[in-house]
Amino acid sequence: MEEFLQQLTNGLAVGGIYALIALGYTMVYGVLKLINFAHGDLFTYGAYLGLTLLTSLALTDRLGFFMGVLVLVLMVMGLVAVLGVILERAAYRPLRESPRLSAVVSALGASIFLQNTLMLIYGARFQVYPDNILPVTALDLFGLQVPVMRVLIVLASVVMMVTLYLFIQKTKIGTAIRAAAIDQGAARLMGIDVNRVILLVFLLGPALGGAAGLMVGLYYGQINFTMGWVYGMKAFTAAILGGIGNIPGAMIGGLLLGVVEAMGAAYLSIAWKDAIAFCVLILILIVRPTGLLGERVADKI
Amino acid sequence: MKKPLLALVAAIGLVTGSIAQAADAIKIGLMAPLTGSWASEGQSMKKIVELLAKQQNAKGGVLGKQIEVVTEDDGGDPRTASLAAQRLTTQGIVAVVGTYGSSVTEATQAIYDEAGIPQIANGSTAIRLTEKGLKHFFRTAPRDDEQGRIAAQMIEKLDFKQVAILHDSTSYAKGLADETNALLKKKGIKVVFFDALTPGERDYNAILTKLKSANPDVVLFTGYYPEAGLLLRQKRAMGWPVPFIGGDATNNPDLVKSAGQEAAEGFYFLSPPVPQDLDTPEAQAFLADYQKQYEEVPASIWAVLSGDGFRAAVAGIEGAKSTNGGKIAEYLHKSLKDYPGLSGPISFDEKGDREGEVYRLYKVNADGKFVMQKL
Repeated sequence: MEEFLQQLTNGLAVGGIYALIALGYTMVYGVLKLINFAHGDLFTYGAYLGLTLLTSLALTDRLGFFMGVLVLVLMVMGLVAVLGVILERAAYRPLRESPRLSAVVSALGASIFLQNTLMLIYGARFQVYPDNILPVTALDLFGLQVPVMRVLIVLASVVMMVTLYLFIQKTKIGTAIRAAAIDQGAARLMGIDVNRVILLVFLLGPALGGAAGLMVGLYYGQINFTMGWVYGMKAFTAAILGGIGNIPGAMIGGLLLGVVEAMGAAYLSIAWKDAIAFCVLILILIVRPTGLLGERVADKI
Repeated sequence: MKKPLLALVAAIGLVTGSIAQAADAIKIGLMAPLTGSWASEGQSMKKIVELLAKQQNAKGGVLGKQIEVVTEDDGGDPRTASLAAQRLTTQGIVAVVGTYGSSVTEATQAIYDEAGIPQIANGSTAIRLTEKGLKHFFRTAPRDDEQGRIAAQMIEKLDFKQVAILHDSTSYAKGLADETNALLKKKGIKVVFFDALTPGERDYNAILTKLKSANPDVVLFTGYYPEAGLLLRQKRAMGWPVPFIGGDATNNPDLVKSAGQEAAEGFYFLSPPVPQDLDTPEAQAFLADYQKQYEEVPASIWAVLSGDGFRAAVAGIEGAKSTNGGKIAEYLHKSLKDYPGLSGPISFDEKGDREGEVYRLYKVNADGKFVMQKL
């Protein structure tokens, strides 16, 4: 039982990261029907920008751990959001009226561009976060020894997801986003500035992805310029699993994928972990082709 | 039209002149990756072999003649290497030292063997190289399966009773894991866990949790340093004090960076010794000379093993009292026993593999430095 609960917390920590990245995929898809393949690389930028800011500004020394990390998270989210907007302007807006495949090619190109830029700036070797700034103690949760960082990762991702959910469901701007996702033409006729909605989506998604990158850097310590690919793939899968275009679906899909991976590794075989996770994905899609909560699936890609 | 013709004649004259001039020197070839991704290794090899040749010449050369080293660049690439090998075979070399990568060496084996030139590879560890029955092929590097033997032996010596083995499904890591697993079973040591992780991921907590439930005394991880660093870091965060042993692919200072000093402390790994740790008097003297000459230390043990290749070649020529490739090879196979090399005594078995142990056990100390263990 203890091992099961430990594996559950492992899975939730990984799944939380997947979910945060998956939100970016799903929001962009919801509004633009575009799979933003460069999203995984924005996540990597979050990790690298976090490292640079952390080491150059020494925030945690000046403000203490919690305040320092909080300020760091906000800075990284802001910077990656700006990067997301630039990406939209440069790679997607000029192709808004083109066939959908052109935009996909543009997304792949942007991904390669971003990845290689990072390699040229920071070098191809692993970069490592300083390891002396984080609490390494284990927390006692009902008799279960769980590292503090793991709890913080799960908490942070849940807080961000809930905030986003409330923002989308309860505010006027959130309603506009939902309206643009349902029917852009009708939304425009109702006086919604669809371009601004798209801009907002490209602010929010990358901000969350960047935060996820920073969390990965802080938690695991080791980052490299290609890591966005694996995380992007998994998060994309999570978005499909939950029903792409659906925001709560991406959250549930991410957490579920993380937990399935951990359980597959724990009770079947570590080496087959990914195969097991993807088998589950296929089974779910056979039973529910639109994903767990989705109304549509990506039918063009 | 006359001028180019003249130039050509002059060039031929020059070439034949230089051959005539060098006819009384004994030529030993060196094939090394002077360019490409292993260039730092190759440059070290060249420096080492040239320094050794200079020292040998100062002592009177070999068979009363001076030694001339003929170097060709293999670029760390099999195709470039086969061209380099063909060029070397036409230059009257008696023996050749090199090279580094296994696939690169493999591309040249047949060329030297057909030409009857003994080849002594220095960095190639793939098992198949010496399983072809080539009479003229030797190596100063250990074979890949040697490491498995040493790993099993170390685990026995350190008195671990329950071992968990983790690899990463690459052919190198899986081979080492399988080899060690089989040997441990023969020794009666229990292997309580055997599985693979996916390299390139960040989160290995699920694997560590599963490992922990198998309750091993020690974990042998045969993969590479990035994953080893993450495993150590996450193991510490879990508060699990089990010792880890790594294979030679974990021998990289970035391991300590990834894991953090505290988490890396106490990590064991197997590796051929770094040049500074070589304790034979030959090695100490040579390294002092090398540092004096070039103001650096050799790039790695693999570069130093090219020096052992050169010493073995010279010993072979001297011992066979001949520059005939067949005779030198026969001498190296049969009569060269425990010749003092830089990395320890050199002997070759009938396959051309080096006999004796090259691997050592290292441990990471509290400052994150790699310290050789005496066992």
